[in-house]
Amino acid sequence: MRLLIIEDDPALLRSLAASLREENYAVDTAMDGEEGLYKAQNTAYNGIILDVLMPKLNGWEVLARLRPQNRTPVLMLTALDATPDRVRGLDQGADDYLPKPFDLDELLARLRALIRRSMGQVHNLIQLGDLQLDTAARRVEREGQEVSLTAREYSLLEYLALRRGQVVSRAELYEHLFDEDDDSLSNLLDVHVSNLRKKLGHDLIATRRGHGYSIP
Amino acid sequence: MRNPFQSIRWRLQAWHGLFLLVVIAGFCYMAYQLAWNNQSRRIARNVFEAERHLFHPLFEAARPEGADEDAPVSSSMLLERLRAHQIELPPETLLRFESTESGFAYFVLYDTDGSVLMQSPNLPPDMAPLPNDGDDYDEDMRTIDNRREMARYNAKGVSSIVGRDITPEKDDLHRLGLSLAASGLGVWIVGLLGGWWLAGRALKPIHTISQTATRIAEGNLTERIDTAGNNELHQLARVLNDTFEQLHAAFERQRRFTADASHELRTPVTILLAETERILKRERKAAEYQEALTTCRESATRMRNLIQALLLLSRQESAPPQRESCDLAKVVGEAVAQLEPLAREREVHLQTDLPHLACQADPAALSILASNLVANGIQYNRPGGSVAVSLQQRNGSAVLTVQDDGPGIPQEDLPHIFDRFYRADKARTGTSGHTGLGLAIVKTIVENHQGTLAAESPDGAGARFVVSLPVEPTPQEPV
Repeated sequence: MRLLIIEDDPALLRSLAASLREENYAVDTAMDGEEGLYKAQNTAYNGIILDVLMPKLNGWEVLARLRPQNRTPVLMLTALDATPDRVRGLDQGADDYLPKPFDLDELLARLRALIRRSMGQVHNLIQLGDLQLDTAARRVEREGQEVSLTAREYSLLEYLALRRGQVVSRAELYEHLFDEDDDSLSNLLDVHVSNLRKKLGHDLIATRRGHGYSIP
Repeated sequence: MRNPFQSIRWRLQAWHGLFLLVVIAGFCYMAYQLAWNNQSRRIARNVFEAERHLFHPLFEAARPEGADEDAPVSSSMLLERLRAHQIELPPETLLRFESTESGFAYFVLYDTDGSVLMQSPNLPPDMAPLPNDGDDYDEDMRTIDNRREMARYNAKGVSSIVGRDITPEKDDLHRLGLSLAASGLGVWIVGLLGGWWLAGRALKPIHTISQTATRIAEGNLTERIDTAGNNELHQLARVLNDTFEQLHAAFERQRRFTADASHELRTPVTILLAETERILKRERKAAEYQEALTTCRESATRMRNLIQALLLLSRQESAPPQRESCDLAKVVGEAVAQLEPLAREREVHLQTDLPHLACQADPAALSILASNLVANGIQYNRPGGSVAVSLQQRNGSAVLTVQDDGPGIPQEDLPHIFDRFYRADKARTGTSGHTGLGLAIVKTIVENHQGTLAAESPDGAGARFVVSLPVEPTPQEPV
């Protein structure tokens, strides 16, 4: 899952990005509204964390220019916690609103819920035959036994599982699993897929030559 | 308004009612008196007429037979003839004094000893002649019960009382009095109603004003009183509106300041919480802990700086400057010296030109002022740049100039740089000690000293801050 954080405070931006990367999200950052809007319009993110009070373009303006064409879930993060501000944020197209200071665990849970909803899931557990994915704990179990996966392998599996039945192109996988600073070589994706097949069974992920991968 | 009798409308009404009552009562009383006087004059004329009708035939009858028609007849002659019962009244005269219907006329004639010589048959009882008070002749027009009569006393002739019954006139007056009272009462009530309406109408704008003020007090600060018009109340409304405007502006400033301050405090708190939560999620290497703790310390420092700046600002705002004789050069020089390490770190050169300048001011506040301006000059400078601090005495003012040769301030930012939390560069430097309050504090201190503050920034030539403080004459020490 790839996220964009638009926040003008460098220390908070650094800390947030570190937290989300540790949760295995691919994270892009923007220091002001203009940069954030540009990135949001040019990359398919799974979620955007948007600060309100920012130089150049503030959060409201970014949101106004982003909607309605862009349907990426937006979580507004701001020091303005009066009810009218929250209502305004939600009415203008934000999907969630979290006042500062927030609880990191709450932010993570809200993000998971936002992404889950945007993918059409209603809870944290995804069933794939005898495999069970817990997207909150980021674990995979087979018949009650945990299967050990690397963070990248898990992210790839989760993304394909959430798009179950659809063919996901390599480009899309790259866009959603790696952030802008990630210079992994393209064939690493093949390595992750082949590792997943070794650990979980050959039939789990199908290759559509020239199109991409899918979980049938 | 809880006690209606304390409202202006009720008081106006009470005074108005009282005043109206006095006026109407006075008017009715005068009308009544006028009518009574008229009646009295008419009655008196009637009485005199009756006297004439009585005495004319009497004196005619008392004239000695054969005497000249023009010969005068004295009262004593009449008395003698009456004593002798030699006089008969003609029937038409008797007819006049016979009736007992209301308004009847009567008469009685007395001898000098008070005995009745002649009387009309309808004479009311208890009649008495006018007493002898020493004069030969006396007369009195008097009202007794329902009679008005003319009593004459003649020591040597005939004393008489001629009068008439005034019951009809009294009834008339009584009726007039009643109708005057009734119509007066009516007028009073109409006047009261009119007064109530007028008072209400006059007080309506006040009611509107008070309602508007109530709504404003309830928090609707944008509400204003309608001031279309030019009477006294509209002028009052305009004055009130101006006051509301200022209150609203002050309230708005305060609200924005609180919001800004809380925003500025929230960010470091958020960083502290997010960073500590993240780092405590699992075991880390020592270097990671160190990095996280550094971030936390920076956030805490930011909060401390902000809190100090907020306290400083509120102290400067609430307390008048503690003026004392001080040497501006010394105050500014010390502030500059304290910033030397920061300047060295930033590779900024500090130049000073501080001639001795005595003035009455608050040295602590001025030290903060100089320190903030110089720190600002160092902060927004480039490595190798310089900040020049100079003092001058000009037209009775002490002028402090702080000039840097950094990138300067964009023209569109110049009007706002003294606003709280306004940052010209828009980028939060976060840990550099910037609170966004430094220049706001400078402005407050200058205003406290009744001075002026100007910032200018010619394109690309750095920024220049000029503070001008009025120098109060320092008490001269005796030579």
